[in-house]
Amino acid sequence: MIANLFSYASLSCAAIAAAILVAYLVKRPPLSGVVKVWLLLGLGVFPIGSAVAGNIQGYQTTEKRAFCASCHVMSPETSDSDDPHGTSLSSRHARNALFGADDCYVCHADYGMYGTVLTKIGGMKHVWMYYTQYRNVSAEDAKKTIALYEPFPNATCMHCHSTTDELWNALPDHKASLAAVRADRLSCASDGCHGYAHPNARPPGVAAK
Amino acid sequence: MKIRQLLTSQRVLQSACVLALVALGLFVWSLFDPRPIPVILAMSVGQVIGTVSLLAFLVVVARDLRAGQRREPVGAEKRPF
Repeated sequence: MIANLFSYASLSCAAIAAAILVAYLVKRPPLSGVVKVWLLLGLGVFPIGSAVAGNIQGYQTTEKRAFCASCHVMSPETSDSDDPHGTSLSSRHARNALFGADDCYVCHADYGMYGTVLTKIGGMKHVWMYYTQYRNVSAEDAKKTIALYEPFPNATCMHCHSTTDELWNALPDHKASLAAVRADRLSCASDGCHGYAHPNARPPGVAAK
Repeated sequence: MKIRQLLTSQRVLQSACVLALVALGLFVWSLFDPRPIPVILAMSVGQVIGTVSLLAFLVVVARDLRAGQRREPVGAEKRPF
C-alpha cells in the first residue's frame, strides 16, 4: 500500500542503502577512504533519508481512518464514518473533503499548544490498551466499554463552526445556548442537540445500553 | 582482551551493516503494512537500531583516524622537512 512521494523516497533510499550494505558484506573490502565514503552513504546518508521520509509518511498514515480501523474494536466507528449514506455526525463530516479519510484525527486531535504530541501520546495509550485489553474482545463487546475519556470539547466543532456567523446565530436554539456552548456546558454532539457523533457513542461515565 | 579481539573494525562494520539492514527492513515493513505495530516499530526501534549502526561506523572511522595519526609522526621523521 505505497501511498505517496514520501513512501517512494523512503523506499528508494532504503533500496540504495541496502544495495551498498549487501555489497560491502559480500565483498568485505579493506577500510580505505573510498570504502568509508560508501559506508557513510550506506549507513548514514541513505538510511537517514529513508527514516526521515518514512517518518513523515508514518506520521501521515497515523492520521488516516484506515489506520484507526486496523484495530478491529474501532470498526463500528470507522464503518459508520465510511458509510456514504450515513446520517451520523461522523459520517456526514467524513463526506466533507476537509475531513475525508482523516476524519478520525481531525475530530479527535488535541488542538492545544502541544496538541500534536499529546494526541500521539493518547494514540500510544490506545495501542497499549488494545494489545493488553481489547485484542481478543469482539467489536460488539468492546462497544459496551469503549467511551471517550473526557467529554468531546466544543472547541473542536468551533474550529469550523465559529458560533460567530450570522446564519448560525439566526437559529433560535443556537442563539439561546451560545454562552453554554462556548463554555462547554452544553455539548454540540449531545442528545438534545446534534446527536452523538457515532451511533454507539455516549458521554464518558454513562453505561452502554 | 577477548572483547578487543571480538571488536575488530571489520567485525564492528559488518555488525553495523547487519543492524542497518534490520532497521531498513523495519522502515520498509511500515510502508507496506501501515498498521500500528509496524509503524511504531519503524519510528522507535528502527530509528534506535539505525542510529546504533551509524554510531558504530563513526567509532570505527574515528579509531582508524586516531591510529593513522599515531602512525604519521614516524613517517614524518623520514621526510626532509
